[in-house]
Amino acid sequence: MVAGGALLYLTIKKVIYKQIDNSLITEKTIIEDQLKPTDTIPDFEATFGHQIEVKLLNYRVKNYQAIKDTDIYDAVTDSYIPFRFIYSKGNTFQKKGYVITIFQTISEKNELLQDVGLYMFFLFFSLLLISILINYLIARKLWQPFYDSVRIAGRFDIQSDKPLDLPATDIKEFNQLNEVFDNMTSKMRNDYLNLKEFSENASHEIQTPLAIIRSKSDLLMQQKNLNKDSINLVKSINEATTRLFKLNQGLLLISKIENQVFHEKKTVSLKEIILAGLDNYKEIMLLKNIKVDIDAVDEAMVEMNDVLSEVLISNLLSNAVRFNINGGFIRCHIDHKFLILTNTGPPLSTNPDDLFIRFHKNSENPQSVGLGLSIVKKITDSYGMNITYSFHDNIHELILQYR
Amino acid sequence: MQDDNKNIINQQNLSFSVIFICFKLYIRFSIFVLYSTDVKLLIVEDDRSLSRSINDYLRLEGHICEVALTLNDAEQKAGVNKYDCIILDIGLPDGNGLDLIREMKSKKLTGGILILSAKSSLDDKLVGLNIGADDYLTKPFHFAELSARINSIYRRNNLLGLNEITFNEIRINTEDNQVYVNEKLFVLTKKEYDLLLFFMANRNRIITKESIVEHLWGDNVILTDSFDFVYTHVKNLRKKIVAAGGRNYIKCIYGFGYKFIES
Repeated sequence: MVAGGALLYLTIKKVIYKQIDNSLITEKTIIEDQLKPTDTIPDFEATFGHQIEVKLLNYRVKNYQAIKDTDIYDAVTDSYIPFRFIYSKGNTFQKKGYVITIFQTISEKNELLQDVGLYMFFLFFSLLLISILINYLIARKLWQPFYDSVRIAGRFDIQSDKPLDLPATDIKEFNQLNEVFDNMTSKMRNDYLNLKEFSENASHEIQTPLAIIRSKSDLLMQQKNLNKDSINLVKSINEATTRLFKLNQGLLLISKIENQVFHEKKTVSLKEIILAGLDNYKEIMLLKNIKVDIDAVDEAMVEMNDVLSEVLISNLLSNAVRFNINGGFIRCHIDHKFLILTNTGPPLSTNPDDLFIRFHKNSENPQSVGLGLSIVKKITDSYGMNITYSFHDNIHELILQYR
Repeated sequence: MQDDNKNIINQQNLSFSVIFICFKLYIRFSIFVLYSTDVKLLIVEDDRSLSRSINDYLRLEGHICEVALTLNDAEQKAGVNKYDCIILDIGLPDGNGLDLIREMKSKKLTGGILILSAKSSLDDKLVGLNIGADDYLTKPFHFAELSARINSIYRRNNLLGLNEITFNEIRINTEDNQVYVNEKLFVLTKKEYDLLLFFMANRNRIITKESIVEHLWGDNVILTDSFDFVYTHVKNLRKKIVAAGGRNYIKCIYGFGYKFIES
């Protein structure tokens, strides 16, 4: 557009100059036509900004013609005024030379040109603005369904029970896109649901065979004439069964949280749950000489499922007790926003970033199943809470932002 | 008593004696039924292998057991016989075990109900307990736990002075949670008390440390190094009983756990 404007400006300028030049040439030709046969200089009316000089020479000159720009000082306005002039030399029929110089002011033309240029600039500029605005409005209207789809697709959560429902539009291409999106996400959801259902079913179905193994080994254990080898065998079976059971139980719990089995909510007091949880570990903490320090506000209430709140706190406390040292401490601070649980204990042997990952476990503790903290994470995630872990000076710190 | 009978026969009063014998037998039978410590159980579980195991174990405990593999079978048996406790699986091939509870309650049949389910789904548990089941146990379970639950249901449902467990010099009052040795009250912590009851419910049976952990701390608690604490608890309990003048009944069984020995 700028280039177009500049081109137009130059074109107009060229046209104006050409017009001036033409009029100069025409005038010169008229003078020549009078001069050549008669050898007399015709009369001219000198007008402002227009000046004609004709000189007759007594010798022959070479034919020559040029059109040029010049500035002539004007005493009245004390300024230089731009002029265009034609300078022409030629010979009359009587072989006498002559020189014709015609000056034509172009200041008005320049002003005109400037005005035209300015108008054009404004015109183009406003055109530009208007076209941008129109473009924007049209694009917004036109792309609205697209942005709607993007917004809805962005909010898509595979774990939610609602399918991605993109609205139909008047635009064929967007409908195609939405259809592809819908198909893709519904396939994803189906796969996810199948997987979820499978893991829950598998967990359930494992329970009965596990019960059989455990019952048979319980019976085997009660037999009187077992030798040491058989005892060790049954013991191993028992341990493995317990491990499998814990594992299964943990996975089942996770899949239940995912399936939102625990959807009922109550207002529960964090302080009460902590106190009840600690009570469960009272004897163990006594044995390990662990000092407990609770500083909690009574109003620390949270809206969540009571079973899950107990599981959450119990898992956190269980870790704080298990990975504690003899003569260590557990401190629990609850305010209106945070629950901070600190406890002494040896540093983690593994990367703390993986702490909340499923089956991540401390290598020093082969008996551990490695699901406790991933269950914690599942629960906090499902309530939009935030939990972070840090370790410094041999003190583990878990911060739960419950509100 | 036989002398009595002979005297009566000798008195040639045959018809009277027959009626009398019948009457005495009836009284004795009634007394037997009323005061029998044998617990009569119905096991409703469709998995043959598991129901056989449960049957075997509970028979070892001295309980009288019957097995029903289907809901239909269970309904018939429960309609005819009186059971102290029904061990009920929910997922049965011909229906939902919860229906049996509803039917029993509508027919006002007595007897405790212990739900045994692979589903630890909260809804099932709540529904089961709401419509009249006494307890809920999730598979897989320890037999020691099953035994303890059955005993506790039995105690709760029978009002014939059974809120007391007497065992040689030890007497436990389950109503106010007091324990006496040689009629002398002695104090146990909550966990030690639970442990003693657990042992009582599983006399002469090997109890694994795992089952003790699960019983004392619940199965949601994952305590891998808790076996040391079981050891300490058992040690403390034993010490307290012995200090109060009782005998040492708790025997350590290599590799497994403990056994509460009667003799």
